[in-house]
Amino acid sequence: MTSKQDFKRITPYIWELPREHHPQMRVPARVYGSAQVLEMAFRDKSIEQLINVATLPGILKYAMAMPDVHQGYGFPIGGVAAFDYDRGIISPGGVGYDINCGVRMLASFIEAEEIAPYLDALNLALYQHCPSGVGEGSAVHASQKDLEAILVQGAEWAVKHGYGTRADLERTEDGGRIPGARVEAVPKRAWERGLTQVGSLGSGNHFLEIDVVDEVYDADVADVFGLRRGSIVVQIHCGSRGLGHEVCGQYLRQMQDAPRKYGFSIADRELVAAPVDSPEGQNYLAAMAAAANYAFANRQVLAHQVRRTFEQVLAGKVRNWELHQVYDVAHNIAKIEEHTVEGRKVKAVVHRKGATRAFAPGHPALPGVYRVTGQPVLVPGSMGTASYVLVGTEKAMQETFGSSCHGAGRMMSRNQATRERHGAEVREELRQQGILVQTGSLKGLAEEAPEAYKDVDLVVESVVGAGIARKVARVRPLAVIKG
Amino acid sequence: MGQWQTLDHTADLALRVWGADLEDLFITAAQGLMSLITDPTRLRAEQTRTLELTAPDVETLLVDWLNELLYLSECHHFGFAGATFHTLNETTLQAKVQGGPWPGYTSYVKAATFHNLAIHRTTSGYETELVFDT
Repeated sequence: MTSKQDFKRITPYIWELPREHHPQMRVPARVYGSAQVLEMAFRDKSIEQLINVATLPGILKYAMAMPDVHQGYGFPIGGVAAFDYDRGIISPGGVGYDINCGVRMLASFIEAEEIAPYLDALNLALYQHCPSGVGEGSAVHASQKDLEAILVQGAEWAVKHGYGTRADLERTEDGGRIPGARVEAVPKRAWERGLTQVGSLGSGNHFLEIDVVDEVYDADVADVFGLRRGSIVVQIHCGSRGLGHEVCGQYLRQMQDAPRKYGFSIADRELVAAPVDSPEGQNYLAAMAAAANYAFANRQVLAHQVRRTFEQVLAGKVRNWELHQVYDVAHNIAKIEEHTVEGRKVKAVVHRKGATRAFAPGHPALPGVYRVTGQPVLVPGSMGTASYVLVGTEKAMQETFGSSCHGAGRMMSRNQATRERHGAEVREELRQQGILVQTGSLKGLAEEAPEAYKDVDLVVESVVGAGIARKVARVRPLAVIKG
Repeated sequence: MGQWQTLDHTADLALRVWGADLEDLFITAAQGLMSLITDPTRLRAEQTRTLELTAPDVETLLVDWLNELLYLSECHHFGFAGATFHTLNETTLQAKVQGGPWPGYTSYVKAATFHNLAIHRTTSGYETELVFDT
């Protein structure tokens, strides 16, 4: 049984479980966060799952948990693991079912006071124009040919079809298009599910939110990101919908025999994996890229819907209702990246399962506009608290393969949340705090009650303490659409 | 007659399922899943669909079975109400699935996962734990 005492304190915000702790561990495991974060990680199976990740072949440096870590179903959520491209593996479970679930932030010149009289109407109109919840509502009726193009071109497809601008693509991770997607690697059922869901939020913890920037910590960087104190921003949190779930499920199943075939063992069947350079690994990478592109297109279409809605409700009522993109990040993904490990350049497959890329200033993958500042890192909190905009650091490049946290992180089960809270009561409490909520599911609202999540301030303090991102601004919710 | 109970999981949904035999285990797991995502009292056995699945082992067959029922509910609006097995062994499932119009979701489940999945034989039948990604 692993305990907190088994961890070595590297710094007040970095804790290491030595490789010798478990005979199957190939590398140490590290938790990034305060002593309190480490302690919280022992409340569920996060650490056990992190140890399992450390046993996978070709893992580089450490199996890592970000400060928002909690139990998942294979990898812990908030987990980062990089594998050597030539000796290591790719794991569909290490990406998850919602491939390229991520967050997009749009900023504006609208002041909070300007929007206040129209907030209710705006939130209702957004709810009507941005399909949410389970089902087939979508903003776009895609044909088979459209879907084929979406899978390869991602957000580029959406911009070509009038859903946004080239500037949006520049401010999207990988330009909104991951190379290497192959449509024939995408299972038939994924196509079927994907056709009817382009431009939809989905359910669960997905949301669309209108926020106000209530704190700026780094005025210069905030200025480059387009964030000014008192101004309105919009966050969109969603992923690849049923198409991504189907890709993950099918490849998890197809790979079940791969560990035996390639001669390695796994601690949990959900961690099933194949060598990156095997036919199984390459096929999954091609299908994952396609699903990730679908998610980029999905958020691009939703951003367009949000802009149209802002125009419809606010034109002539506020001075400037335009929304410009801050960034779009993926937080469930495996990326082929080059990193420096023990002084040498290594081609790695970096799995971020509930973790955000946090590249440092100067990184060649960043667009010109963010080359000097570093990459924006979007960290949504719970709907009753706050969200943060951080920026990537050199320390993240050295420590965590350029990765940081992805949110506040759950700490209460959905069952417990619905036992303790009623959706109507949560909505009323939020209303009293000045936060409007639209949702199709009151039960879903109860599951996502603010107290079901860790304190986002605590998580961000740990991120900053560990040096794996810096604070730029904090935003506070005014209106929320819950999927 | 099988039984199921919900288990707490930080982010997702989980069930412990017991069945007197494999058929009982598969039916009970399906009933447990339906209770997580819809109002089971509104499920009706009005139509029948034929289902044939093959898998390399019994755990994969169980995951396939549950994911097939999730697919039928989401994409064909067909809610599981029961099943009669023609064949059910460690690798093959042939069944007539009874169901009716999908009554709507109370919660959404993306998939049944393989997380720590093992079907155990006990003195009274079979037992397993299932984690669903939400």
